[in-house]
Amino acid sequence: MKIARLALLSVALVLLSNSADAQGKPAPKDAVLYFVWPQNGTTIKGAFWCRFGLRNMGVTHAGDNFKNSGHHHLLVNVNEPLNPKEPIPSDKSHLHFGAGQTEARIELPPGKHTLQLVLGDADHYPFDPPLVSEKISVRIK
Amino acid sequence: MGEIRDFKSGKHGEPPSGATPRRLAAIVAGDIAGYSRLMELDEEGTHGRVKRIERDLVEPSIAEHHGRLVKTTGDGFIAIFDSPVEAVRCSIVIQQNLVGRNASLPKHSWIEYRIGVNLGDVIIETDDVYGDGVNVAARLEGIADPGQVYISGGIYEQIKHKLVCGYESLGDRKVKNITDPVRVYRVLPDPAAFHRNRKRRENILIFLLSVTLLVIAGGALWYMLLQPRGKVGDQASAPISPPTELPKAPTAPAPAAKQAAPQPPPVPPSSAQPTAPQPQPIPSVAPAAKQAAPLPQPASPAAPTTQSAPSVREPEMSALRGGSFAMGSNEDISEKPVHQVTIKPFAIGKFPITVREWNECAAAKACGFTATGKDDAPITNVSWSDAKQYTAWLAEATRRPYRLPSEAEWEYAARGGTQTKYWWGDQLQPGMANCKNCTDVAAADQPVKVGSFKSNPFGLYDMGGGVDQWVEDCWHKNYQGAPVDGSPWVTGDCTSHVVRSGSWKNDARYVRPANRDSYDTNVRYPTHGFRVALSP
Repeated sequence: MKIARLALLSVALVLLSNSADAQGKPAPKDAVLYFVWPQNGTTIKGAFWCRFGLRNMGVTHAGDNFKNSGHHHLLVNVNEPLNPKEPIPSDKSHLHFGAGQTEARIELPPGKHTLQLVLGDADHYPFDPPLVSEKISVRIK
Repeated sequence: MGEIRDFKSGKHGEPPSGATPRRLAAIVAGDIAGYSRLMELDEEGTHGRVKRIERDLVEPSIAEHHGRLVKTTGDGFIAIFDSPVEAVRCSIVIQQNLVGRNASLPKHSWIEYRIGVNLGDVIIETDDVYGDGVNVAARLEGIADPGQVYISGGIYEQIKHKLVCGYESLGDRKVKNITDPVRVYRVLPDPAAFHRNRKRRENILIFLLSVTLLVIAGGALWYMLLQPRGKVGDQASAPISPPTELPKAPTAPAPAAKQAAPQPPPVPPSSAQPTAPQPQPIPSVAPAAKQAAPLPQPASPAAPTTQSAPSVREPEMSALRGGSFAMGSNEDISEKPVHQVTIKPFAIGKFPITVREWNECAAAKACGFTATGKDDAPITNVSWSDAKQYTAWLAEATRRPYRLPSEAEWEYAARGGTQTKYWWGDQLQPGMANCKNCTDVAAADQPVKVGSFKSNPFGLYDMGGGVDQWVEDCWHKNYQGAPVDGSPWVTGDCTSHVVRSGSWKNDARYVRPANRDSYDTNVRYPTHGFRVALSP
């Protein structure tokens, strides 16, 4: 009984220490991040609802440290590569959805824009390797 | 075990392996508030929307939280979970997602769920579930307000230390057709709401207590003065009564530190010299004059602080006279239109709140976490709700109206009387602000301690660069309809709030005093901090 309890405790400790480690959490191999809408090459008039899709993982609130879950980030016209050792930046081209949103109203000026999704963990770090969607292009009329 | 089970279910003689397995489960019952009204408004539309919500939100959320959707009715659903934590978490996810979905719609066509969660022993069949536990969950759902999650005492006991939420006890409730009353709790997804709630109640209690004490003190005074010397007492009582209304007389022995000031003080001085009407008016005038003094210069931390809150270190504040200025710019759509705003006199922190200051709040158990990092570094990784908790604690501990600045106040203070692109001019200059590619501070040292860069013309540090700073206002995508009196703009969708200043991770565009960004209200991010303001 005692041994069982000790074993349980050590398992819990290992789990805990793992979850305390902020960076480079692995995502499940079969996880897929994608745009439900818009599709690559869509021409859109005005503002639109951008819908985020995630398979084989769950969406949670930022700060919630559950296995196989994260929250969405939308990168608009970002060309620099993502630094996996840093939290995903927060600015006008890196939009955060830490409340667990799975869609967002996006307003962009007319012209061609690229969109890409990145999943972040509880502390806004990308997964390792980063879980990103295809980078799509849309044209705003 | 089988015997006990049979005994409880009242089925004698049946083998435990019978067709109706009983088990303990967390039952979630949800239904749409005002479904018939919505159907009346727009039958097909509502039906479509409800189906879509069930398909896109309810079903995936339940699956994600390892639950099982047992059945859906026209306007509701019942699901079971093995884990109470998952059940409540799932309920919160559904409710919070709906808030987002409703945000763009007029209020009368909102689809809002009421959700009840109960822990109970149930009989599960393929497409339905039976038992007391289900009925209680359904009743809880029935008494819940739209958009709320109500949970039973059983669930509460299981999750109270596991799920970081606020829980408000609603006491024991009698529910229809259930004999024993059920203990009910309301789930408040963000703990700050709970804090606010509790504080309101505390304030009422303190108020009642002070009223009682005041009455007792008044009675005692009356008795002492009236009994021994009839006429003189009458005379003396007149000048004495005014000081009772003043929260003054700091010399009096104060029994309860909290609210000591208002009530007992007048008694000792008056009983000491009740017969001398001459000297009385002087002390009663003096405090009044003293009290009036701090008003014109709000930032002087001298007078009011000394009487309460012995140990709290107050942030260094700068008093600003206020005035009119042009808010916004034409550099970004979010900063348009440029509009004239009048700011009333107020004081604002010279620096962002530091780790040391934050940790005093954490030590008082009023702030959510203890920060690590250098004492003089700005506090980071705080949500808007965290910042509000801090200001609420500071205001309470110092008895001064500390708060977050409004967005207009922040920009007024950041501009420091200038109308240029940056407060120092129209060109970027090295060493003026802590932004990306603007300084040579090593990344490992970030965020550097507050006040490491030049102060602006108002003597304020780090107004632009350093850490992003929360303000009171809800996010609006531009200034169309913004208030012009300097007050915070708090109407509309408030799921995200405004951050100002830009951080060490943002480039020079973000350092401009007109720059504005938004972030989710309850989410922490490593570059977000805040500074406080003080009303006169």
